[in-house]
Amino acid sequence: MRETARTAAMAGLGVLVGGIALKTGASHTVWQIDPYKCSWCGLCATACVLQPSAVKCVQIYPMCGYCKLCTGYFEPEPNALNTAAENQLCPTGAIKRRALEDPYFEYSIEEELCIGCAKCVKGCTLFGNGSFHLQIRHDRCVNCNECSIAVVCPAQAISRVPADQPYKFKSREHHA
Amino acid sequence: MKQPPPQPHESAIALTRRGFLGALAGSAATATVGAAPAPPSRSNPYEYKVDHLFKTDPKHLLYDTHGTLRLPVSDGRRVAVGPENQIWVSAGKTLLIFTSGLEKLREIQALDVIRALAVDADGTVYVAVKDHVEVFDPQGRRREPWNIPAANTWFTGIAVAEKDVFAADARNRVVLRYDKSGRLLGRLGEKDTSRKIPGLIVPSPFLDVEVAPDGLLRVTNPGRHLVETYTFDGSLVGSWGKTSMGVEGFCGCCNPINIAMLSDGRCITCEKGIPRVKRYSAKGEFEGVVVGPESFPEGLRTGAVFNKWDGSMAGVDAATDRQGRVLVLDQASNTLRIMVPKKPAATT
Ligand code: SF4
Ligand code: SF4
Ligand code: SF4
Repeated sequence: MRETARTAAMAGLGVLVGGIALKTGASHTVWQIDPYKCSWCGLCATACVLQPSAVKCVQIYPMCGYCKLCTGYFEPEPNALNTAAENQLCPTGAIKRRALEDPYFEYSIEEELCIGCAKCVKGCTLFGNGSFHLQIRHDRCVNCNECSIAVVCPAQAISRVPADQPYKFKSREHHA
Repeated sequence: MKQPPPQPHESAIALTRRGFLGALAGSAATATVGAAPAPPSRSNPYEYKVDHLFKTDPKHLLYDTHGTLRLPVSDGRRVAVGPENQIWVSAGKTLLIFTSGLEKLREIQALDVIRALAVDADGTVYVAVKDHVEVFDPQGRRREPWNIPAANTWFTGIAVAEKDVFAADARNRVVLRYDKSGRLLGRLGEKDTSRKIPGLIVPSPFLDVEVAPDGLLRVTNPGRHLVETYTFDGSLVGSWGKTSMGVEGFCGCCNPINIAMLSDGRCITCEKGIPRVKRYSAKGEFEGVVVGPESFPEGLRTGAVFNKWDGSMAGVDAATDRQGRVLVLDQASNTLRIMVPKKPAATT
């Protein structure tokens, strides 16, 4: 189940990578976030030249705990563990919760709704497995000469990376 | 019950949830490069406010620090107490043995990174490495390692009783019961509706087992935020634990990560996420805090110090000795702390 979900997610990203070359011009580099440096300050939502931001939350399914109490989904002290809006921490309702076999739940990001605010990333990383993290999505990013978010990022988490390796996804392998 | 946290700068950003959803309709496809935006405010309208959870109300603090020891070997991970109140610590592949006063006595080398250890009454030590168990006799000589059939085993806890050894396999969500020669005798904690066992939920590699003074086992069920009691033959006889971010409960994907038992049956719990060590009564009632999150390094609170996913870096481990002290191993600062119960305030 998890591998299938992961494969689906990665296949989607693979399609996006193909379009990057068109935008990178001669530079052959694009901007990307190092998820292990990001300190979830929230500026990715507001500092991008695009609104909504080119930064989106990514879910790495093989790292996810499929928790009933997902700390990236629920407010710190939710009234109940259900999908009522007041229990969700995402300001845009971009995270979808789907019951699997008891007691597991799957959490996925509806990218059109995500504004890259990092709230869920902080909750997931502080208290959970850290499978949610932010990435600049290259089907949206216009690859500014100077990324406006990188200029203000307090963690200096954003740098140029080779255009043929445009994502810095978290992975279990990294942790191992 | 709970009010949503105030969003002080929401109006400046004009991205309330409803407003945002409305504005978003169709916007992604047409997103364009705008004029250079005004310098963004450093305040965060989407802040996830949890700072208060990392502070302990002084009234809950039950222990004082009696002594600390910076470990002489890096990667300190687990702590146990052996005969004569000796303190056994694993650090990477090394077992360090100290007196109860923290003087180093000797060390033993294991073949792989040690994930859990349990010391028998005679000084024999059972060491869980990722997928097998190494045994050292009281003189520190390695015995034949146990032959564990390959099953993607991922040991993260081990406990020794008079005749049995129990090894917690986080990956397979099971506690394996062995005799002392390494012969598999049984499996505990697996889902079994006929025995009314809901099953262990282990979202990340933390599963611990202890033999309690009542002769029963205590097994963490971290995905359910429970400590469960089992007989040696695998009957589930009870559980306690509450899901809560409050000090009395367990939160996050998987807590408690490690446990230790006091001689009167009370239980010491270690948590990650909000790193804290707490004490519960034998019935599972919250009694107080041994070490609160504010006493651990920042890196432990953010997990930033642990780029590990191998079950060996839990963040915090604890053991108890016969004096009722709690030995807390803080992996981030590679430090062992000896915690003693606070003395009652003198009455005049
Ligand atoms: S600006 Fe930097 S630290 Fe802040 S959310 Fe974005 S990547 Fe993370
Ligand atoms: S909380 Fe923020 S980063 Fe996470 S999904 Fe919602 S909008 Fe995206
Ligand atoms: S390079 Fe430009 S478009 Fe891309 S994330 Fe940075 S500010 Fe946004």
